[in-house]
Amino acid sequence: MRTLRRLLTRVGNLATRRRQDERLREEIAEHIALQTAENLRAGLSPVEARRQALLKFGGVEAMKQDYRAEWGLLFVENMIQDVRFALRSLRRTSGLTAFVVITLALGIGMTSATFSMVDGLIFRPYPVPHPSNVVTLVSTTHDNSFDYFSYREYLDIRDKTDSYDGVIASADMEAVGYSAEPAATPRIKGGMMVSGNYFHVLGVEPRLGRGFREDEDQAPGRNAVVVLGPDFWRHEFASDPSVVGRTIRLNGTEFTVIGVAPDSFPGMLTFGVPDFYAPLAMARVFTTNLQKNFFEDRDDRELNVKARLKPGTTLDQARNELAMLAQNLEREYPNVNRSRSAQVYTQFEARTQEDDNWKFGVIFVILALAVLLVACTNVAGLLLSRARARTREIAVRLALGAGRFRLIRLLLTESLILASLGGLAGIAIGYGVVAWFHSKDSIVFMTELPAAVPFRMDARILLASVALSVFSALLCGLAPALQSARVDLVSGLKSADADVPGRKRLWGRNLLVVAQVSMSLMLLTASFLMARSFQHSLLDGTGFAKDRLLMVKFDPRLVQYNAAQTKQFYKLLADRVREVPGVQNEALTQNIPLGQDEFYGLAFVPDAFQMPPDRENFNSTMDTVDEGYFETLGIPILRGRGFLASDTADASRVAVVNERFAKHYWPAGDAVGKHIRLDSRTGTPVEIVGIASTIKYQSTFEKPMDFVYLPLAQHPISRMVLMLRSSGDPLKLVQPVKDIVRSLDPNLPMLQTRSYEDLYLNAAVKGPGIAIQLVGTMGLVGLLMAIAGLYGLVAYNVSRRTREIGIRMALGAANSDVLRLVMGKGLVLVGIGTVIGLAMGFAVEQLMNSMLFNVGGVDIVAYIIVVPSLFLVTMLAAYVPARRAAQIAPTQALRYE
Amino acid sequence: MAVIMKQKTDVLQGTLALMVLKTLDVLGTLHGYGIARRIEQISGDLLAVNQGTLYPVLLKLEQEGAIASDWGASENNRRARFYRLTKEGRKQLQVETQDWEQTAAIIGRFFEAKAEDLS
Repeated sequence: MRTLRRLLTRVGNLATRRRQDERLREEIAEHIALQTAENLRAGLSPVEARRQALLKFGGVEAMKQDYRAEWGLLFVENMIQDVRFALRSLRRTSGLTAFVVITLALGIGMTSATFSMVDGLIFRPYPVPHPSNVVTLVSTTHDNSFDYFSYREYLDIRDKTDSYDGVIASADMEAVGYSAEPAATPRIKGGMMVSGNYFHVLGVEPRLGRGFREDEDQAPGRNAVVVLGPDFWRHEFASDPSVVGRTIRLNGTEFTVIGVAPDSFPGMLTFGVPDFYAPLAMARVFTTNLQKNFFEDRDDRELNVKARLKPGTTLDQARNELAMLAQNLEREYPNVNRSRSAQVYTQFEARTQEDDNWKFGVIFVILALAVLLVACTNVAGLLLSRARARTREIAVRLALGAGRFRLIRLLLTESLILASLGGLAGIAIGYGVVAWFHSKDSIVFMTELPAAVPFRMDARILLASVALSVFSALLCGLAPALQSARVDLVSGLKSADADVPGRKRLWGRNLLVVAQVSMSLMLLTASFLMARSFQHSLLDGTGFAKDRLLMVKFDPRLVQYNAAQTKQFYKLLADRVREVPGVQNEALTQNIPLGQDEFYGLAFVPDAFQMPPDRENFNSTMDTVDEGYFETLGIPILRGRGFLASDTADASRVAVVNERFAKHYWPAGDAVGKHIRLDSRTGTPVEIVGIASTIKYQSTFEKPMDFVYLPLAQHPISRMVLMLRSSGDPLKLVQPVKDIVRSLDPNLPMLQTRSYEDLYLNAAVKGPGIAIQLVGTMGLVGLLMAIAGLYGLVAYNVSRRTREIGIRMALGAANSDVLRLVMGKGLVLVGIGTVIGLAMGFAVEQLMNSMLFNVGGVDIVAYIIVVPSLFLVTMLAAYVPARRAAQIAPTQALRYE
Repeated sequence: MAVIMKQKTDVLQGTLALMVLKTLDVLGTLHGYGIARRIEQISGDLLAVNQGTLYPVLLKLEQEGAIASDWGASENNRRARFYRLTKEGRKQLQVETQDWEQTAAIIGRFFEAKAEDLS
């Protein structure tokens, strides 16, 4: 109790030091005055009286120390002292301080920015209460570890499991035609179908109105209700609270608004932000797949299933239960569930299995950490030099009785301040990088759906940055601090720089240089490899002609066309645009190559092919195109034919495959005339009538992949892209097309009207360019730091050995001898660093290949460029100070110090 | 060497604190010099060379709440800090006096004990 009271008083006293000093001074003065008066009364002379009084009082300074220790918190007070002292000494060497701060800021800033990427892509918890017990349930097959479930399967899981406090399902966010008024042309918004228990199970309370009731998701088509997303409500309804109960039109059907989701819930997607949510029972309004029945077909797998684990249920229990259920389904429905299993994923597993975006994040973090490491070694080197130059100061402090621990603390305080400044500036840089990313939003997402880069500097990232700063402070401050405190007093006092060139000490500095050279070599290699493989992929070309193409996307579902109307619309559209002057060719395709949407997959069995025993079918990417496609895009048909107008719905079914597909399944013979069966061994037979040349489909740096084209007439799709090749500027065709569409149906929106070249530039060139810019910047920063570090080291060595050099020269050494002497060491270090850096570069190359590019092999050219240039540059960094050393006049060098 | 000195000052501080409390208890409000004089008169040379050591002790006691201080006028009419015992200090004095007497009694008995008493 008494101790606590004292502690509190002392904390309070920290602020009042000056007053306390004043009080003590006054008390002492008065004490001595009284004693002097007493002595005078005893008959001493005035001078002697005062002297005796002072003697009796004892050592004033020592007492003051005790008094102060009693008054405040010694520890905090010392810290304040340390901070003051450190700030003073850092200000004295402001150039060095600025350099160190900038260096650390670059390292910390890059690392925190890339952390924010990985956090957004993998770690950031779902925006719901108790996010950690939300798990993702997926269907798995041989080559797909993240498949969705069908509606029927979802119902089975929901009803036949007990590990969960609720199982929810959601479809992917889809483009939906939205209009507030019946007459208005629909605009594209992002809608998401969810199960009736979605908000309830996730624990999301709508900010207005209510969430869905379970009974609103039971009878197909009965309850046309919709919950709005917070952003959509803000932008479309100006945050109008009376929106609940209003009617809006989605894909031409009237829906009643029943609620608005809260701001805290932007949705469960990594990138997308749904504009509204509708019950699964309304699937007929939204469904994409005209061939399947969403409510009945067990192989119409469109649902992402999530569940909340019951408290006390382990993940293993849930996994076993679901695996059992999957086995039962496999037994019960062998046609559609053969060799299909199921898995329960945690958030981390789900996000890393779903797609590969996170791999970029991880690679960036690795590279950024390398930059930070280079920065830290650089700063450590600088502080080490500084500490050496301060040897005498430190020796004096030690001689005056400073404790070694206290001294280490002082020096660490210095590096902590440096790191804090660096950390602050780093956070600013992090904000800058994240803002830069956001400025690229429009390039990264060219879909019409609402999306946002999930990277942001939030409390988690700030905390990580602070931790990084402290970590860097220790990393770059500890070694110099420990070393300074080990100073030998006698020699330390005798000379300004008591560096005895002991092997052990130099070993540490050499290690720094080696680490720097190798790290920056690795960084450069990585950025070079990325840039080069990307450049390569662009030079390879796409395999089709991409100039003078106009694209317009249509989705007749938005205005509630049925299959017959859709077919009629596309036929009329194709016929009329063909008449437009300036149109050379016209085509319809479900997907455009190198666009943003992924191609669909096709399950098939090649006829007369020996299937592996554990496989039901193979998978290939596919596209649905009309008869004008190959000619319009300029994709050569190598054998057989393309599609013809005669390939109608009633004619026998045909397909065109690409060259790789043909070689893959018929390596010896001719694929033309062979058959594949859709879905399974007993599926519809489709004859291969032609082989098209292999082009780039998803990205310019993909490896060649299997591809199947199906004719639109035999595989009707509602959402198609019209592609026109014009004789001149493709954008001149926009107006004529607009007129034609208006004459066909004034309500049908034209989506994503743009020239293909523009899309290609954004999606295939600028998008990946962002990644390359980022890695390139890191490589460059790493190299600059390594150069500065090496320069500093050699320069420091030279200045330390100036006297020695002077003696050597006085004894007759030539300039070149000196140069060799000084540079020799740098050469060896750079050499060792290069070897290690090469090894790390190879490792990174393997990593990048396996994660991203799938090219394999070693890019020799990258090394031929990177290694010698790094070597040259670092040698130059060593040469400049070495040359300066060689030019020193011996007389001057001998007088040095 | 340092360790022994440290212990000695600790003991000194402890006894000094008790003396301060007792002095203030007996004489009422006093300034630092007054307290020093009184202790000197009674204890002889304990403070003969180091009157200054009194002040950290005074501060400690004040922070513990055992004594309080105020500015007042000294004999030669200048500003001086006057210390007085608080209620809490009186209690503390009582407890510590008891403790001290108990300890002194035990130690005393120990020193008086002869070999045969311990066997």
